[in-house]
Amino acid sequence: MGTTIREGSYVSAGGGDGLRTPPREDALEKGLASAVQEGSAQAAEGAVIERILSGHQELFLDLIRPHQRTVYATVFALLANKQDAEDVAQDALVKALGRLNQFRKESSFGTWLIQIAINEARMRNRKQWRIPMLSLTDDKDDAKAYIPKDFEDWREIPSTALERLETREALVKALASLAQHYREAFVLRDIHELSISETSSILGISPGAVKTRLRRARLMLRDILAPGLGRDGRLGWASQEVSKPWE
Amino acid sequence: MGISCQEVWRDISDYIDEELDPVQRLALDQHFAECRHCTALLDGMRNVITLYRDERVLAPPADFHERLYQRLGEKRNHSRRSFLVWTLTAAAAVPVGLALFSAARLIVPGRDRQRPASGPDAHQVPETVAISQDQDDKLYHVAGCSRLHGNPKFLRVEEAIRKGYTPCVYCIGKLQPKKNG
Repeated sequence: MGTTIREGSYVSAGGGDGLRTPPREDALEKGLASAVQEGSAQAAEGAVIERILSGHQELFLDLIRPHQRTVYATVFALLANKQDAEDVAQDALVKALGRLNQFRKESSFGTWLIQIAINEARMRNRKQWRIPMLSLTDDKDDAKAYIPKDFEDWREIPSTALERLETREALVKALASLAQHYREAFVLRDIHELSISETSSILGISPGAVKTRLRRARLMLRDILAPGLGRDGRLGWASQEVSKPWE
Repeated sequence: MGISCQEVWRDISDYIDEELDPVQRLALDQHFAECRHCTALLDGMRNVITLYRDERVLAPPADFHERLYQRLGEKRNHSRRSFLVWTLTAAAAVPVGLALFSAARLIVPGRDRQRPASGPDAHQVPETVAISQDQDDKLYHVAGCSRLHGNPKFLRVEEAIRKGYTPCVYCIGKLQPKKNG
């Protein structure tokens, strides 16, 4: 799953409600040791999953540790609301614990979690009848030829751009402005770096459809972001002033 | 310029993903070398991907992990409580069940323990039977049984059973079993 699993980025919870890290000699360590021997992190996860299913539920925390950020990022990208994202991400992980016996190892555990997260986010969207803040597109757009809104030159990414909360929020807002099916393809492929095949499998669409949605999502996000970030690093929406050579 | 800008826009995403065959890729390379607009488009798309891959953009709040752990802990505790409640309920149900079973036996005494093959349920035993007041054999008989000696006492069969009397195999045992239905 590429860099989807961001090892080492986890911030320890430090105890909390009494959940504790299992003893060193416990299953996680055994599983990880086994994985090193076999050269497979997936084997380690499999070993831990079996232990959890045999009653050691406390190991679930260790199992999901490398995937928490991915699950949250998936849900946040699709809901564009921090509070909802946290609730739904937690729902997804709690649900994963309840359904762990249904994990068939046909995909990686991380991919399975992402699938649950996407389903939970879709359910939340359906419940709330949430409409994208500024939906630029709909399903019909897949079939239309794309015409860029401008050709603003954007060779450099301002190094300080992402340090500003305003920029990060604008990126979330820009993503939220896309129709959900574009967002999903973009999140899986470009943020989580899943393969076309994995993305296709999770979304239940053909690889060709994944490519089409991804291309459109990338182009639309560039349209939205380039006019601002391409100039002074301050994000803005496409304005009337940008160059449109075809006009 | 071998291919048009429109063709570039159609294939530009596959170009980024390196999904084009060498001939198509070369055609786009040549186009980018000459078209600053499409090059700007390509740079912009790559920048978009780079920006969104930065962990800061969609990062969870600082205390997300703590709250998640708390919630999972609550779920575990809830599961544990549910298991405990179930276990205690099951444990409590056993003596309650036994008590009800015993009570039922007291209400209908002798129903189970006094059911020989020749007992009243299996045969056409008359409602009233006779016991001997002079014998200690604790048998009940059909009136007139040759094995009934001494001074007889008549009583209902249920009462005889409740008092611990068992059927006489000579008179009661010879009665025909009841036909079902």
